[in-house]
Amino acid sequence: MGTVLLVGGALSVHAQPRSTPTGPRTGTLVVAGEVDKALTLTPDQLKMLPRTAVTIEEDGRPVKYEGVLMGELLKMAGAPVGPNLRGNAVSSYVVATGNDGYSAVFSIAELDPVFTRSQIIVADTADGKPLFDYQGPFRIIAPQDTRAARSVRMLEKIELVRVKK
Amino acid sequence: MKFTGSLCVAAMLFALPAVFVAAADTPARFRTWKVPATFPLPPVPADNPLTGSKVELGRYLFYDTRLSGNGTQACATCHQQQHAFTDARAVGIGSTGEPHTRGPMSLVNVAYTSFLTWADPTMTRLEDQALVPMYGDHPVELGLDNADSWLSRLAAEPRYARLFTEAYGTPDLTRERVVKALASFERSIVSARSPFDRYHFDRDDQAVSAAAKRGEVLFHSRALSCFQCHGGVNFSSAMTGEPRPRMEPEFPNTGLYNLTGALSYPPEDAGVYRITHNPRDVGRFKPPTLRNVAVTAPYMHDGSVATLDEVLDHYAAGGRTIAYGPHAGVGHDNPNKSEAVHGFTLTTDQRADVVEFLRSLTDEALLTDPDFANPWTAPATTGAESSGKAR
Repeated sequence: MGTVLLVGGALSVHAQPRSTPTGPRTGTLVVAGEVDKALTLTPDQLKMLPRTAVTIEEDGRPVKYEGVLMGELLKMAGAPVGPNLRGNAVSSYVVATGNDGYSAVFSIAELDPVFTRSQIIVADTADGKPLFDYQGPFRIIAPQDTRAARSVRMLEKIELVRVKK
Repeated sequence: MKFTGSLCVAAMLFALPAVFVAAADTPARFRTWKVPATFPLPPVPADNPLTGSKVELGRYLFYDTRLSGNGTQACATCHQQQHAFTDARAVGIGSTGEPHTRGPMSLVNVAYTSFLTWADPTMTRLEDQALVPMYGDHPVELGLDNADSWLSRLAAEPRYARLFTEAYGTPDLTRERVVKALASFERSIVSARSPFDRYHFDRDDQAVSAAAKRGEVLFHSRALSCFQCHGGVNFSSAMTGEPRPRMEPEFPNTGLYNLTGALSYPPEDAGVYRITHNPRDVGRFKPPTLRNVAVTAPYMHDGSVATLDEVLDHYAAGGRTIAYGPHAGVGHDNPNKSEAVHGFTLTTDQRADVVEFLRSLTDEALLTDPDFANPWTAPATTGAESSGKAR
């Protein structure tokens, strides 16, 4: 073509290198933040809780994940769910964070079975097998999401934030 | 689902026999493909259904040097099985000696590839892509003449009468039939037998090393984010399969160059820009599959990166810096660079782990699988053997 193009450097964005790929794995799940009773759960303890299974499509194939509803974990920690989820509490949200620092946000209402049928779980098995190291031991599965960007892998922490007290 | 989700197919049972034999009521294309149950089924054009006889004809054509104008090259010249159907050169060299601007892409799992070649969002069918090396003259690759005189050379080969008849019902040789058979053979090249596959789908924990497992964690970490462009069972965002709709690949600019002047990439190949002429598309190329990446060096579209270690250098720096020469520039600052290429630091051990993970993607069985090998060096099969063969 020979066309003169102006592709200047002014648009450059200098992203900072990320220096800590992954930290030591805790192997546990912490439910904390503005809850009445913070929890630290081991994989064995999570398995003792009421189980929920969801099947999602990955690469054109169904995969059955099993675990515990996030709403159930919040209820155990004394978060305002069920009949208590009203008024200012509805503005609360949850930050889920993985071992590599990746995090995603869920409004508390979308985690409460009283409000939604979305069945967002903390999964610990896929098709009956433990999750792989790069996924587990815990991973969020949000079956209604059409992208997996909130499916936090290597999940280690769930924090409740109350916007209005 | 995006990214790692796609790799989580993992937990499903996986068993891939050496020769895939499907149930009687399985669609015909299952019987001709070594596609494990845990992989999506690649799409096939309605006007070119996959059959074993067409795949076999395509294999003969793929390895036939009569498919070049001067009889010196075949498709297999640049797409060599032992190199996962690449050629171990930086860039391809055509039948007349003319160098290409790009290295031959691996044909492994090409049936899953939503967009073909390095940087053409409009090229989606293997039947169309085959015409480029056959007839293209910028550069000349196979160098066939548009009048198709080469078909008469093929017709002189006695085996083709049988092979074309088995594939199409009559022995007629046409350009369309040749192209459809080549595309069918290419679609049959499925790589799914690597140590990674045995670990993920057979749940054989011993199939890969502890280092490879650590490398997999790093590969999928937020810091490296390799999975953003190389996710899914084919380790490429440019992947399609049934029944999921076609994905839009991102064609990322990875900061490989940052020249001063009109174009930030070498003008002989500025990526998607070559098609769109949109300045934002300068330097944008498709993320290729990483399956068998350990045997497909050198790397990048122009083969300008020699080793996997150097690939990690490039991404760790958030773009390559070239200090001297006509391509000098700081790739990190390329204005079109993808946000996914942000740079990272790795310890020596972590770097070795990532490379070990990439090596676990090598499918040794594919590299020597006789079903994908040169048929002209093997004894001719009889019609009965060929027509009934389950691939």
